[in-house]
Amino acid sequence: MKPVLVPTTDVNSETGLLLAWHAKDRSEVQEGETIAEIETSKTIFDVPAPESGFLLHAAREGTEVRLTEPVARLFANVDALEAYVEEDQHRRVEAAGLGPRATEPARRRAEELGVDLASIGAESLITVGMVEAAAAVATPATIELPDPLPGVAALPRIALIGAAFGATQVIDILQAAGSGTAVAIVDDDASRWAGEVMGVPVVGGFQRLVTLFGAGAFDAAIIAIGSVPARVRLREALAANGIPLASAIDPTARIAAGVVFGTGNIVCAFCHFGVDTVVGDNNFLSAYNSYDHHNRLGSDIATGPACTTSGLVVLGDRIRLGTGIHIEPHVEIGDDVQVASGSVIVASVPAGQAVKRRLVTTVVVPRRLDAGPDQHDRR
Amino acid sequence: MIAARAMGDALRAALNEDDRVILLGEDLIDPYGGAFKVTRGLSTDFPGRVRSTPISEGAIAGLSAGLALSGYRPIAEIMFGDFLTLCFDQIVNHIAKYEAMYNGKVTCPVIIRTPSGGGRGYGPTHSQSLEKHFFGVPHLRVVGSSLVHEPTAVLRALLAQNSPVLLIEHKLLYPLHLLLPVGGRIESDIAEVHVSADGLPTVSIRAVPREDCSFTVLAYGYQAELARRALSRLAVVEEIFGELVVPSQISPLDWEPIDASVNVTRSLLVIEEGVDGFAWGSEVAARISSHFFGKLRRPVVTAASDPTVIPSSKMLEAEMLMTFERVEQAIRQVAA
Repeated sequence: MKPVLVPTTDVNSETGLLLAWHAKDRSEVQEGETIAEIETSKTIFDVPAPESGFLLHAAREGTEVRLTEPVARLFANVDALEAYVEEDQHRRVEAAGLGPRATEPARRRAEELGVDLASIGAESLITVGMVEAAAAVATPATIELPDPLPGVAALPRIALIGAAFGATQVIDILQAAGSGTAVAIVDDDASRWAGEVMGVPVVGGFQRLVTLFGAGAFDAAIIAIGSVPARVRLREALAANGIPLASAIDPTARIAAGVVFGTGNIVCAFCHFGVDTVVGDNNFLSAYNSYDHHNRLGSDIATGPACTTSGLVVLGDRIRLGTGIHIEPHVEIGDDVQVASGSVIVASVPAGQAVKRRLVTTVVVPRRLDAGPDQHDRR
Repeated sequence: MIAARAMGDALRAALNEDDRVILLGEDLIDPYGGAFKVTRGLSTDFPGRVRSTPISEGAIAGLSAGLALSGYRPIAEIMFGDFLTLCFDQIVNHIAKYEAMYNGKVTCPVIIRTPSGGGRGYGPTHSQSLEKHFFGVPHLRVVGSSLVHEPTAVLRALLAQNSPVLLIEHKLLYPLHLLLPVGGRIESDIAEVHVSADGLPTVSIRAVPREDCSFTVLAYGYQAELARRALSRLAVVEEIFGELVVPSQISPLDWEPIDASVNVTRSLLVIEEGVDGFAWGSEVAARISSHFFGKLRRPVVTAASDPTVIPSSKMLEAEMLMTFERVEQAIRQVAA
């Protein structure tokens, strides 16, 4: 398909009047043949066919056309033209029926809560508040919610928030470190209720957590979720209910002299914190993260594995780091920054920015038969 | 339908409905049909009633005054809003005064239309929004075209009364499609139309019920469209909810729909493309601050272009004019 653009250099006009079609819709035209006539504020000019082919009009005679958009399309044959027309119709149908209109935070929250947006009969834009209200109504009353585990004497009893993979990591760290025992998990997705993760029961939603804390069923909570907005929201909700945070730090982590940790941090295996590094609250730091000496980390940060910093690096709050990121000395990363996997950061990044990386693709190809493992072994 | 064509249709309807209507201005007649093509076709269909004039804006305004005093309904086009300064004496000292000066024995119902605004790289003398100099002139109405108002209905309302009118049409709106309220909606937003005693509409647009909006944005013309797009984006992406109020008459203002919104949101942002200082926003801020004394949650926020000359370079003009980015920034300020 070749789009037919209006050949104009008229900077004064954004639209023109399509005066006449000289070639009929779906007819065959030759390269250079005049197919239409367009009038702008300055002039009337001819539109030639940019190549030979079958013509599909994109505008009617006597209508305004935008000079930056194609007035027609050319196809190598009639079949290609008809296929495009059919596809275009599908596109229009799909665009018209995109389903319920909701804000992006509402879509994310609906996914977290397992709420079907189509079930919310809203007159206007669906918001987080409406999704949460719908989730509260949809809560199955029939599920018998299990009780938390009793815990182990002398170990703090920990409740986890989030029953997905984050919970498995935190439970494993707590077991390895022996710094606490997971007694319960809560999750706002009701479909997970009454299930269990590595032997720890899912006892209900956030409201159950508040009730259980009031009843003295656990001592502190850990947010076992990697999403930064969810970590912020849940940390605020815990604080509002007076529930303290606990940390889960893997015993393989190397913590140098003078390192200060806040609360609510999850530190996965083989992490390193250099001398005098200060870590805020509620960070989720994946395996093989290394923060060299005199780093300062804010709060509510979530990282992927293998992020390493040099000395004197400063990370703000609510930062999201992908996987395999290297940060040079003295670099300061502002609040709310997101960094793509594989980035090497050599200069400071202001708050609210995203660091992206030109994608270097890895190509997967069939192995060459004459260079198989046998040959390799012989060398 | 694009705004330029819709305005042309409004003028056509006026010519059809009232024999006293006469169009005059520079280069109006076919085949040129006016610098922005609004009057295209009209001189052919209404010979003698659509007239091209010599290049003298003072003469166009003076001639319009004379026609209006003699019982005609002249609708004059000033090719660029920047040239309104050449009509200032006719408008302020004559056209707007006659009715009061002669104690109602004569009326001077002149309508002057003009394209305003920047964003096209037309430079210091073809890009300005000079309407602020006409706000508050006694007995003069200043009306701003917006995509959410139907031009034929607005023009009919203006022709049904006798006070002189300055009608500001932002040139960037001409190629855009109208976004008229249909069944209480504009696209998927809720749209409420309030019509003044004089038949002039104010449209209030919101993504969610007014009770869930934490601020009101007042804007007209192209800035209203920028605000609508920014609000729509912020609502969907970040759940920042505000109500946009778009009046058709911008001086004097019909306060009823503005008060109704601010009374609930208790927070107001006023946006205009004219330069900052002694501006539309200042007047609105003064009135709202006084009317809602002690009830607002924050001081009224005003956003306007930098008070300097408009450069010809599009890049440089984007640094001093109210752009989409600056509109969004102002909305964030009032939403914070």
